[in-house]
Amino acid sequence: MANLNIRNKQERTYQAIVIGSGISGSWAAKELCELGVKTLMLERGRNVEHSKDYPTTTMLPYEFEHRGQIPEKIKEENPVVSRCYAFREDAMHFFVKDKEHPYVQEKPFDWIRGYQVGGKSLLWARQVQRWSDFDFEGPARDGFAVDWPIRYKDLEKWYSHVEKFAGVSGFRDGIDTLPDGEFLPGYELNIVEKHFADQLKKNYGGTRHMISARCAHIHGNAEYYAQQGRTLCQNRNLCQRGCPFGGYFSSNSSTIPWALKTGNLTLRPDAVVHSIIYDEEKGKATGVRIVDRLTKETEEFYADVIFLNAAALNSNLVLMNSTSSRFPNGLGNDNGLLGKYVAFHNYRAQVSGTWEGHNEYTTSGGRPTSGYFPRFRNVYKQETDFLRGYAAGFSANRGVRSNSDGIGMELKNSLLNPDQFGPWYVGSHMMGETIPKESNFVALDLSQKDEWGMPLLKVSVDYDDNDEKMIKDYQEQMSEMFEKAGITNIRVNDDHRIPGLDIHEMGGVRMGKDPKTSLLNANHQLHAVPNVYVTDGASMTSTSTQNPSLTYMAFAARAAHHAVAESKK
Amino acid sequence: MNRRIALRHLALISGGLVLIPSCDFSKEDILAAYENLKVTASQKNLLGMISDTIIPAGEIKGALDLEVPDFILVMVDDCFTQDNQTKFTEGLASFPDYVKNASGKKFEDLSTKEKEEVILAGTKLEGDDTDEGKKKAAVAYFLNSTKRLTIQGYMASEYIQTEVIPYSLIPGEYNGAVLISDLQKPRVNG
Repeated sequence: MANLNIRNKQERTYQAIVIGSGISGSWAAKELCELGVKTLMLERGRNVEHSKDYPTTTMLPYEFEHRGQIPEKIKEENPVVSRCYAFREDAMHFFVKDKEHPYVQEKPFDWIRGYQVGGKSLLWARQVQRWSDFDFEGPARDGFAVDWPIRYKDLEKWYSHVEKFAGVSGFRDGIDTLPDGEFLPGYELNIVEKHFADQLKKNYGGTRHMISARCAHIHGNAEYYAQQGRTLCQNRNLCQRGCPFGGYFSSNSSTIPWALKTGNLTLRPDAVVHSIIYDEEKGKATGVRIVDRLTKETEEFYADVIFLNAAALNSNLVLMNSTSSRFPNGLGNDNGLLGKYVAFHNYRAQVSGTWEGHNEYTTSGGRPTSGYFPRFRNVYKQETDFLRGYAAGFSANRGVRSNSDGIGMELKNSLLNPDQFGPWYVGSHMMGETIPKESNFVALDLSQKDEWGMPLLKVSVDYDDNDEKMIKDYQEQMSEMFEKAGITNIRVNDDHRIPGLDIHEMGGVRMGKDPKTSLLNANHQLHAVPNVYVTDGASMTSTSTQNPSLTYMAFAARAAHHAVAESKK
Repeated sequence: MNRRIALRHLALISGGLVLIPSCDFSKEDILAAYENLKVTASQKNLLGMISDTIIPAGEIKGALDLEVPDFILVMVDDCFTQDNQTKFTEGLASFPDYVKNASGKKFEDLSTKEKEEVILAGTKLEGDDTDEGKKKAAVAYFLNSTKRLTIQGYMASEYIQTEVIPYSLIPGEYNGAVLISDLQKPRVNG
């Protein structure tokens, strides 16, 4: 490969480089730029500009040739991504296709990726619950992984910082396991969900809660968000297409344009990061080597500080591929633990049923969120034969249907006048904490390289006995809660999905107090290379039961301020 | 997709259908727009009659007015597995014989009521392992798929979603407790 570094080194030197433009990378870049740091953001995929590059966002249902369905040929060519619920005709251009970016499944793993400016922030489920100390103290109390080097108090103000800017709607529920935050007005639960929440309080003496889930949607204070060029969520529920209103938080609508406005951000799409350059004499990282996605030429960029936010597994890949004589096994990997202790969220089980009451009611309009059960298992003490617990999603819906049994004018009139209200359908899904283990890992497959000369990532991640027990417990407990609330036709399901489809893969570059047993310190710096920060899912020591993106935003903002403070010392 | 659109445009310009000539002159040419299917122009016409029986024209347009047969063939061509495509086209090919056996007439010669009855009865046919049974199963599969796709293509058409039951890209603020008795919707007469 030709190395055409014709521009001089100075032109390719910045104060900071951020690898990745998704949720965590864009937060790091925004904070750095606001603090006056000349920042280069590298993104391996194409550019996606807010609104302009959302080709399907205002399309009507009949404008999709297959009315949303994915053609069989595409499914056959892309079995992994085709299993993702959001991979539909309206958003498939934002997903990585299996064929284009192969990886090695030592054990079956659905790796769902979004390679473009904004990454998966265009596609995420926008659920933003805070962690509490019940989560941070988990590993130390229950004796797995290593102790988190931080606690809630370290993150609290950063949660507030990112919530305010991103826009988070929710209610102040006053639950100790789920701290309240800086909330815009919440979205009310519907009449049946409220009824269920009341029943739950009664039946379990106030120890279990079902609340309206906090979500990253603008539901008030429109003037404040107008500064970002964003406005109120319009309840379209078409978020995966990209939102022209900026109604939900994405890097594209919020943090990236904000960072660009400072004049301190240089955005470089189509830059596939090969490795972080380590200078043995200086004893620190000095830059990043990339391969241009289109020309395949290599180029180097330099900076004092490097933020690695390539998304959990790709951040592992970049570090593992960053070898030098000081770090033959990957950057910062003195203890050999890089890539190990990968974990995820267990979404395998669902419970559903019907509610025969509230027959005279239905709902109208749209909403971007639904109900949420914070974890109630093993919170104050160990009470089951498995470790940790699960959160759960919850919703009640009532559709209006038409009878389609007939034919001719009878059928036509029935279709055009839908008036059959079925019972309320009630559904829940689990989101279980999985325990990080050395045996769940990612590694390089040096025998195979991709189009850009990168070794393929080998993924070896699986469920364990703890997960199986937790699935059973969720099914039993949720069924019991349904039953006590008078819900009937209760059905439990285990969809046996393979890991990865949760799109909550975490770890491999975990934080910890001790360099012997962790890769990152309390400030997200590599113990051995402190001018490299990792603030995405790779840094997770344990997984808890919240959708993780809000925590990555807080990590990135906190670490960016730390890096700037360090540079001034 | 682009190829199909090009073929459609060509058909419009040339004022006719673009066909793949069959080598066997005793057979009818195959429509080129549906790459994975062997469907002739007369079979497409038949499909049109069936879909128009399922949702006929009246005060409001019917399935044929909205080019639903084309939608059906696009969906079968692109979104069905190969096995199901085979079942669908076999069912379509067997349909005329089925109608003849059931009613003694050609489909186009039946009254509206007879057409409706023969389709509904066809959706309920049960097959078995014999050659006849396999044909029955294919006819039932074809008719059920056609009915489902006719409903989908009709309801999710531009005409219905703009002129009859307008689709809203902005559905409005959520109301979680609406009394059904408060919902006033004028009845649409098809």
